[in-house]
Amino acid sequence: MDRRKFLGVGLAAFAALVAPVAELHAIDFRATKPKAWQAEKSAEAIKEMFGTAGLKKTDKIKFTAPKLAENGGSIPINIKSELDLETIAVFQDANPRSLTAVFTVPKNGIVNYDFRIKMRQTAFVTVVAKARDGVLYTMSQEIDVSIGGCGG
Amino acid sequence: MAKMKIKAKAKGDIVKVKAMFTSLMADKEEAEKKKIKSEYITQIVGTHNGNVVFEVTTSGFMAENPLFKFQFKGGKKGEKLEFTTTDNNGKIETGKKKIK
Repeated sequence: MDRRKFLGVGLAAFAALVAPVAELHAIDFRATKPKAWQAEKSAEAIKEMFGTAGLKKTDKIKFTAPKLAENGGSIPINIKSELDLETIAVFQDANPRSLTAVFTVPKNGIVNYDFRIKMRQTAFVTVVAKARDGVLYTMSQEIDVSIGGCGG
Repeated sequence: MAKMKIKAKAKGDIVKVKAMFTSLMADKEEAEKKKIKSEYITQIVGTHNGNVVFEVTTSGFMAENPLFKFQFKGGKKGEKLEFTTTDNNGKIETGKKKIK
């Protein structure tokens, strides 16, 4: 009986150890890369986020955004890719701080994200994505923002 | 109370999710201008059967009431999808929705 009990305890302990791992998978980039969130310019923020490794331009990541945004308060952006990506970060130069959002793609996840950002003025939006093999890809596009938010 | 609007639809193996979170998404400068307290979501995590299917760390430069659309594999009708958001003031909100 003792042995059975021991086994049971062991299993419970194992389950307790394993269970939180799934929860802890979430990475808070605000905690791990605090400096990246303070950087004012995209180049600086990218350096803080991903280091100084070379960025590779690619057309395998589809980054769709309007060329002319009528409402600077809500600019729809879509990021789509067939590549096996790990992290996708969005930077822009229109606001006081550059880093806007960092997506963590789960394993076997589908890279197809829609979201909206705020921009105060016309500026470049840069997407930097890190593939699971460590390669950094980048894409950027200038978005014209009609000042005041009224398209006229 | 912040509200969450979640829509999830399964099509074959893929689940398409639309999720809207209520937040002013006001960063420091904007909050000063409007004379309100700075409030923005810093992290959103979506889980399905204990697996993280969606995860984003955001700043106050996302649009107000952030809306996200994404897809993931392996979800079935009737299964639950859970979201947790954390804002800059440390407030945590959760929301659940069944996949249609």
